[in-house]
Amino acid sequence: MRNEKDLLQLMNAHFEPLKLEIKRKQNVSVEFKKEELIQALSFLKSHSYRHLSTISCVDWPEEGEFELVYHLFSYDDLINISLKTRIKRDPGIFQTAKEIWPVAEFYERDIHDFFGVKFKGNDNLEELILENWQEIPPMRKDFDTRKFVNDKYEWRDYNGQKHTD
Amino acid sequence: MNNNFVKGSWQEILDWAQNKSINMLHYCTGCGAIELPPTMTSRYDMSRFGIGPAATPRQADLLLVTGYLSTKTLRRLIYTYEQMQAPKFVVGFGSCTINGGMYWDSYNTIKQLDKYLPVEMYIAGCMPRPEAILDGLLKLKKMIADGEADGYQRYQDNLEYYHQNQEAVLGEVQRTQ
Ligand code: SF4
Repeated sequence: MRNEKDLLQLMNAHFEPLKLEIKRKQNVSVEFKKEELIQALSFLKSHSYRHLSTISCVDWPEEGEFELVYHLFSYDDLINISLKTRIKRDPGIFQTAKEIWPVAEFYERDIHDFFGVKFKGNDNLEELILENWQEIPPMRKDFDTRKFVNDKYEWRDYNGQKHTD
Repeated sequence: MNNNFVKGSWQEILDWAQNKSINMLHYCTGCGAIELPPTMTSRYDMSRFGIGPAATPRQADLLLVTGYLSTKTLRRLIYTYEQMQAPKFVVGFGSCTINGGMYWDSYNTIKQLDKYLPVEMYIAGCMPRPEAILDGLLKLKKMIADGEADGYQRYQDNLEYYHQNQEAVLGEVQRTQ
């Protein structure tokens, strides 16, 4: 059974991570160059990190980047590890992880819905959660929610006053 | 005997019978649905008022919409409503159905249920307690008995209005009729 430090050592020995951090007990975060990330995923899978909890995405419009975060868990080490990488916001394309975990297909579809990131190798990026979405993906920071809501929906009128006033 | 008179009295008998037995389809969209189990079961026991749960839309009279509706859910709700047999009644439950509630600035939830389906009445609250639900449903029973719950009629009469509103937020909507 590895502890958090062993895990970071293991990462350092096999990859060139940009940043390693023990967030707290049982919680580790590692930043990778985007070329190394998929390799790191399959490496960790063969080292007992078999559970892909989810993939998430963060929009950094000022830096022109998306940050993808892969959350893995090991039932042997009882550690959560978050693997992070940054990709360009435009065109926003990364590699799929579905060869390593078939379930990644759904997480990738989710991210495609909400951020518009495409995943090479995942050719089923149909809408998963949204339906008939025509605008820019809604979780991007440059999506103006308030304006969209004002344009699309009508507020209830309380004797000339709106409850949003 | 005058034909209208017969029709009128027959309708009164129907209204009387209908308000005594309401089969409710609780379309549990939002968090408020959690108040329904205590309302339905022994603590508050809504069956003593002749209201009980129904298994499918085709067997239900009452469509209880318990909370926020994303546009995606609204589509399913409309299909559900259209499967129900008249007379049918829609009750909006919780402030989300009234004016968007705490989801008022969400890009993906509708703000006024009555623009899309003919709502008989709203039960306010976020979330309404079982007492409020029972109070609301008793009022609905009274409305049915008095022949005031005419939502399905309004829906037929203003079909174009409702369809337009539905299509404005959903795009294309499949029609059964
Ligand atoms: S009205 Fe309140 S309890 Fe009901 S769905 Fe909305 S937020 Fe949830």
